[in-house]
Amino acid sequence: MKHLPKHLRPRWRYLAVGIETWPNAEVDRRAFQRALWYGAGNLLGDAGSADADLKLLSFSFSGGAGEAVVRVRRGHVEAARAAIGCVGMIDGDSVGIRVRGVSGTVRACEERYMGRAAASSTQRDVAFEDAERSAVVRGDACDVRIESGYVGAAAFDTE
Amino acid sequence: MYEAVHAYPDGDATVARQAMTAARYGYDGIVVRTRSALEPPDGAESEAAPTSPARDPDAIADEYGIDVVDAVEVDADGPREASGAVGNHRSEHTVVCVVGGDDRLNRYAVEEPRVDVLARPNAGSGGFNHVLAKAARDNGVHVEFDLGPVLGETGGNRVRALADLRKLREIVTYYDAPHVVSANAASHLELRAPREVVAVAEEAGFDPEWVREGLRAWGSIAERNRERLSGRFIEPGVRRGRYETER
Repeated sequence: MKHLPKHLRPRWRYLAVGIETWPNAEVDRRAFQRALWYGAGNLLGDAGSADADLKLLSFSFSGGAGEAVVRVRRGHVEAARAAIGCVGMIDGDSVGIRVRGVSGTVRACEERYMGRAAASSTQRDVAFEDAERSAVVRGDACDVRIESGYVGAAAFDTE
Repeated sequence: MYEAVHAYPDGDATVARQAMTAARYGYDGIVVRTRSALEPPDGAESEAAPTSPARDPDAIADEYGIDVVDAVEVDADGPREASGAVGNHRSEHTVVCVVGGDDRLNRYAVEEPRVDVLARPNAGSGGFNHVLAKAARDNGVHVEFDLGPVLGETGGNRVRALADLRKLREIVTYYDAPHVVSANAASHLELRAPREVVAVAEEAGFDPEWVREGLRAWGSIAERNRERLSGRFIEPGVRRGRYETER
């Protein structure tokens, strides 16, 4: 189909979204997009969700941290922000999620807000609560393995 | 803006991790509701021994450039037990919250001026009405609006939480009782940035500025109580200063 004249094309905003999970969680692109749609549908309703029109443009995730670019219709950024804030679980794994910033173009969004997380995660033993425990360390963050799962700690706790 | 969080062993993230995440999200401070997170572990060495920096709010505050407020959440079975606990903790902790969730506890908390915050008044079977709102206003007890279930739950549970929040909001705003807003995060993953919290609350029908006020209220409670706990405070309006040297 012939594309629309410029003044009739929808205007978009691009949200840079940071994602964080426990180190054993696996989140893929489809699961994240589904979580976004369900989150928006549940919070904003079908009509509001269609207005905001959340679409996942790019997604990367590894070792408990990831980032994504989400496209939103201009004028519905706050509604989209609320819907994104309500994504608490993806496929049964709890996620921490945050909107790092909003841009008018994909390129500005990527240049400004993306690619900073990059600190790779390593597994090693740390001293936590007077015991030696295995932990996954990513930058300053440190997820310590305990009997019932993980505890989020920081480098400050393990010194 | 401040956020009131749970920390390990009550939650799944240590105080330092919560502080690190909150600082990154743009908060000015965190209120640590878990008493044991900032106290030396039970049965540890004598009190004279230095506490480890991971349990010292000032050390954590210095490390991450964010205010760390020591608080306590009194979760008692009834008003009598709660009253004893409040009396014990009032002089030792900056912020004292009483967990509501049953009619008698809600009533006790709003009628006790030593309590700073009535936490989660709607959890469980608890109700809130105009009598409690007036008492909360007169005694300066802040009523907490817990957005945790709105952020984390789905379906019927979330609908009920939203309905309770709306009812609570109507009563509290009508009588102009003080309020605080929190996402009640149990781990760093449940924490949300202030703008997200405000956006979600706005979708739920709250006024955005009112929500920001609720997030800032934690900070003003902490500031007021630190002043009161400092040695210079005698009673409202009276403080110990320096002698006048010249007349």
